[in-house]
Amino acid sequence: MIRSSVHPVVAPFWLPWLAGVPMVACMTVMALPEVGHGHAVAFRVLYAATYLVWTLPLTFAQRWLRGRAPWPLAVLALLALTYLMSLANNALAELLALHWHALPRFDWLRLFGGLDGCWLALIAFCAIHAVVDHTLALQAERARVRDALALARDAELRALRYQLNPHFLFNTLNAISTLVAERRNMDANRMLARLADLLRTTLERGEMHEVPLAEELALTGHYLDIEKIRLGERLALELRVGPDLLQAAVPALLLQPLVENAIRHGIAARAGGGRVRLQVERAGDRLRLHLFNEGVPSSPAEEPHPAIGLRNVRERLARLYGSAHAFDFHLAPGGDCRVEISLPFRAMAAPA
Amino acid sequence: MTLRVLIADDEPLARGGVRARLAGHADVTLVGECTDGPAVLAALQAQAPDLLFLDVQMPGLSGLDVLQALPPERRPLTVLLTAYEQFALRAFELRALDYLLKPIDEDRFADALDRARRALAWQRGDTRAHASHYANRFQVRLGHRVRLVSADQIDWIEAHGDYAGLHVGEQLHLLREPLQRLAGRLDPAQFVRVHRSAIVRLDRVAEMQALSNRDHLLRLRDGTVLRASRTYVDALRAALLSSDTP
Repeated sequence: MIRSSVHPVVAPFWLPWLAGVPMVACMTVMALPEVGHGHAVAFRVLYAATYLVWTLPLTFAQRWLRGRAPWPLAVLALLALTYLMSLANNALAELLALHWHALPRFDWLRLFGGLDGCWLALIAFCAIHAVVDHTLALQAERARVRDALALARDAELRALRYQLNPHFLFNTLNAISTLVAERRNMDANRMLARLADLLRTTLERGEMHEVPLAEELALTGHYLDIEKIRLGERLALELRVGPDLLQAAVPALLLQPLVENAIRHGIAARAGGGRVRLQVERAGDRLRLHLFNEGVPSSPAEEPHPAIGLRNVRERLARLYGSAHAFDFHLAPGGDCRVEISLPFRAMAAPA
Repeated sequence: MTLRVLIADDEPLARGGVRARLAGHADVTLVGECTDGPAVLAALQAQAPDLLFLDVQMPGLSGLDVLQALPPERRPLTVLLTAYEQFALRAFELRALDYLLKPIDEDRFADALDRARRALAWQRGDTRAHASHYANRFQVRLGHRVRLVSADQIDWIEAHGDYAGLHVGEQLHLLREPLQRLAGRLDPAQFVRVHRSAIVRLDRVAEMQALSNRDHLLRLRDGTVLRASRTYVDALRAALLSSDTP
């Protein structure tokens, strides 16, 4: 998708030339009052034909000048060129008149008279050509800017995702190291197996920015398996999903960091454990995700900056959906925490 | 009944891991260890083990090639071990008993051994392994009281370490019995294992959704979401189909 060329985009040759063809129609209309006046119509036909012939080299000349000469110079050059072409037309017309004996001899002064029929038409053609060329170049430039923005957004989303993986990985490795130090071999082993499951799932998933809700729930499930080993019965989990939502499109890795946040800052900090509740529902054309967890009152000293997972989710939602999403984070004085997300509902195709 | 086991893996540490896990089971006798494919074929001839733990990637001849080289009737019960998922399909085509991913999960390992015991009992014509009636009532503690939970109240069952968590509506009752053991006592026409840590009551399943890694996601009637591992999905689908036509 990256366009490497920095040259101005050139329209296909036939397009501006075709845009100049209606000028022939104008010439025909102007010739109508002269029908029946001797050879007048024949001369008009001659001018129209020469116009069509001249526009071909004129198109080439204009293209050649573009980007090589500053525009006032190019205008002067085109005016001069079209003037010469018009003189040539007149010369041709005089030769035709001599052939029909309408003129006694070749008159050099007549070459410079009555140029309006040819010269104006050729100038008008140059103007049309310039406008068509410019419009096309503008369109191409807009497309290029759009591509560049899409690429930038992709890169940002990818960077945000890569930020999450190591964060989670090191947390888990640290938990395993703790289990080993405590000689809880069985648990450490279980956690290693679950971590391997999780890595297999994330590695084979590819680069998609959005995944079906079912995929995201399964991935979050792998993560929850790990936390259950660490916290055991202290973690009470409630997961409720409305009917026909498993295909709904959600950002990849949307829920895992939120659930991780809920557990690390909420449940794990409570001596008696606590409850995490996740509900997903559909309301009209919106998909609503509601995450609640019990927590402990936070001292003002800690959390100088928002948790990385939360900030990351927020940024990705903004990149993906702009103003079409809503994100609401509410921390009660008692430490209970509620996250609500509303996204446009869209079903994704089933995996092959 | 004893299980005569052969281990085949080119990595000493991996063989040690299997050996250590087998040590906890009194009915297992280790008959040998091999480090490459040809040695496995020779050991199978000489020792005729009941059960083979077989690594997929080995020098010379891969684990799958070893199975392929044997006529079906001479293949031992085989549990394949590998870090990769992509061989699973071929493994089951070759009638492997189970397919374990490394690092090995303790519960899955015990599960595989159980399968081997059952398959062996069946092979030896031991039909008393399964009594005809299944548990349909469970005693759970509620503070100091004991409460009875009947099997048809249960929505699904979750592993909680050495306990089984019985989900009845909004409530969770803990039963002091590992999921592993409980699984064998439940009526297979009503309860199906869907995951190493979950059993579900068939008539509670509302939706089933395939995932890109061939696992599935189940949604129960009350909105609960459960994962189903691909190794259990076919059995689940078959059970769902047969429960539609009683």
